[in-house]
Amino acid sequence: MASDTDYDSDGMRDNGNGGSSEGNGRRRRHPMMTWRNNLRALVVDNGRICRIMESGLLDAYGVEVEAVGTGEAAVELIASGETFDLIVIEMFLPFMSGPETARTIREMGITSKILGIAPMYWEKDAQEFLAAGIDEFLEKPFTPELFVPFLREIDNQK
Amino acid sequence: MELGQMQGRLAEYTRSLYMEGILDAQFLQLQQLQDESNPDFVVEVVSLFFEDSEKLLNDIARALDQQSVDFKRVDAHVHQLKGSSASVGAQRVKDACVAFRNCCEEQNVEGCLRCLQQVKQEHYLVKNKLETLFRLEQQIVAAGGSVPMAEMTF
Repeated sequence: MASDTDYDSDGMRDNGNGGSSEGNGRRRRHPMMTWRNNLRALVVDNGRICRIMESGLLDAYGVEVEAVGTGEAAVELIASGETFDLIVIEMFLPFMSGPETARTIREMGITSKILGIAPMYWEKDAQEFLAAGIDEFLEKPFTPELFVPFLREIDNQK
Repeated sequence: MELGQMQGRLAEYTRSLYMEGILDAQFLQLQQLQDESNPDFVVEVVSLFFEDSEKLLNDIARALDQQSVDFKRVDAHVHQLKGSSASVGAQRVKDACVAFRNCCEEQNVEGCLRCLQQVKQEHYLVKNKLETLFRLEQQIVAAGGSVPMAEMTF
């Protein structure tokens, strides 16, 4: 769903234009949880508030986070060799949609856990996103209650 | 007013916002992300939220004002607003967006305009309430007190 509202820029912490990633410049000194392994996540969400909260919460729970605003930027990051244990993708990205992004990432051979997220749970959206290769479809807000079990699973399997 | 009274007033005001459903547990998550390295996190995120949401509301109004309404565009904006309001804990704004989506699906302009009014109302309500909340917090800090950390149990 294309939108003429540019939500890719003006990330809170630093520049954040649509193509570049908002690296997690500040790591929390006392995360809420610690893991046996170093866990890395990629957040793909064009909404800056959502992106800030999703990254912030993952960071608070001891995960190293990269955040981008478009599917294209996510694909580029992964193509450059960056690896992630968890990838979180918003359904309604502006250009390459969430499902298209997930499909492309899977076609690149990435087997990491991918969570699809959307503002509202609609069955047909969930089906489309799952068919594209995500592991689970979640309704926002993206809360620790939702993501911690996945982090636990990933950490145990590493 | 002495510090203890101010802190009591803040606690009561905060409680009322949750009781009235203006805020939900996600706001607690937002508060939990504020720490010594990011001491103004809540105010900053809330300001960005209102900046984004005001623009979205204007975009929605403009889209509904067209001769031939592009409901997909309206729906996309409502989606964005639902996502961001859910992310900061603005519960009633979020709920108003859910109702809005149904009107978009029905392609009903009158219905959408009514929904827009509802969302705007809730938006301005939460904005005023949070401005008051932040003002109460500032008064406490100015008086040399501290604002207690939000509790996760709710």
